[in-house]
Amino acid sequence: MTFSLLHATDFADRLLYKIIPPLKAGMIVLADRYAYTAFARDATRGVDRQWVRELYSFAVRPDLTLYFRVPIDMSVDRLLARRVKLKFYEAGMDMGWSSNPVESFRMFQGKVLDEYDHLVDEFGLEVIDAAGSITDQQRVVRNVIAQHVQITRMELSSDDEPI
Amino acid sequence: MTSPSDAQPPAAPVENDGGANGDGLAGRYYGRAIPYLPLEGYPGKLIAIEGTDGVGRSTQIQLLREWLEVRGYGVVETGWTRSMLMQPTIELAKSSNTLNKLTFVLLYATDFADRLEKEIIPALKAGFVVLSDRYIFTALARAGVRGVDRQWLRNLYGFAIAPHMVFYLNVDVKTLIGRVLASRGMDFWESGMDLKHGDDIYDSFRAYQNKLLREYSSMADEFHFRVVDARRPVDRIQDELRKNVAAFLEPAERPADRSADGLVLQR
Repeated sequence: MTFSLLHATDFADRLLYKIIPPLKAGMIVLADRYAYTAFARDATRGVDRQWVRELYSFAVRPDLTLYFRVPIDMSVDRLLARRVKLKFYEAGMDMGWSSNPVESFRMFQGKVLDEYDHLVDEFGLEVIDAAGSITDQQRVVRNVIAQHVQITRMELSSDDEPI
Repeated sequence: MTSPSDAQPPAAPVENDGGANGDGLAGRYYGRAIPYLPLEGYPGKLIAIEGTDGVGRSTQIQLLREWLEVRGYGVVETGWTRSMLMQPTIELAKSSNTLNKLTFVLLYATDFADRLEKEIIPALKAGFVVLSDRYIFTALARAGVRGVDRQWLRNLYGFAIAPHMVFYLNVDVKTLIGRVLASRGMDFWESGMDLKHGDDIYDSFRAYQNKLLREYSSMADEFHFRVVDARRPVDRIQDELRKNVAAFLEPAERPADRSADGLVLQR
């Protein structure tokens, strides 16, 4: 519960200072993880799913959410290839499921991925196959975003006129 | 951000006879439970003492604790923002000027969750009487005054355990001002200076505490407060608390065993 609430506090702070002001100014906000991370992770930690959704009801619903999906084995391989030590909470070591960080990560994040799969339907997440190359993924991402966002040159309004 | 298909009302409270406050919820979660911490008829009792700043809660709790301990009860005290995890963070956050009403609420809720998991539930499990100096009603009142959505707040605190008894120490603003000024003086947050009622701390305190008292009163029925007139002398208030607590704890404590220990209450 405290893990969930601390992250919600951090999220509320960022929402009010970093997300809402640029939205009001008409900008595009790219959020690296959003409330869905909390939905998946907190549920895996045994927090009531509906309670977490109600907790985050103050969040702005994103216009578009991309979910980069990879199989758990690929996730573990990628992380181990560039990092020696898995983070304690990321590996779900607090759950006490395994004293081996890699094994614990595999079990914990495996369950997190299951939760994400439910979120895809519930909230209409756009799934990106993240098993492919970065170039391929980026091509897909740009296509998806282009369908949702009209990227045009920003017109200067009169009060933005240079002096 | 609830999913559209999932908007369901909270389950209706189930009747039980575990509490003295008559709402049938005592000792259970108010709303959505903490799934990994089921409450299975724990023997302990949770007694909350509520009331605004400077109303005399800590004095009453100290006296109540001594009296209970002399009678052989194990007593655990818990108080708002006193968690090991959050106290330093909350102090730090309050000293900066970046807290908004939402982060304020959530920091308090985190503190409460920590104390609930690490202090209150274990103590109830072990059969202690838990005296809580303030409870979620303080959070509801403060956030209510600051315009936070009431239903969201109640959902948020759904993981709180309904106390067996809630005493609300009721006082009027005039009496309160006299007491606060005679002791430690008016404090920035307790005067609601963040609400920007004006630069005058006296006016701000009066306006803020007036609103707070109204919030508390509006919760009295909803949460089955036992309203105690806190304008009276300390010992008169304490007598009333003891009478109520004794009436509640005694039948639950198998009087036969207690009389064998010579611990029967003087009535």
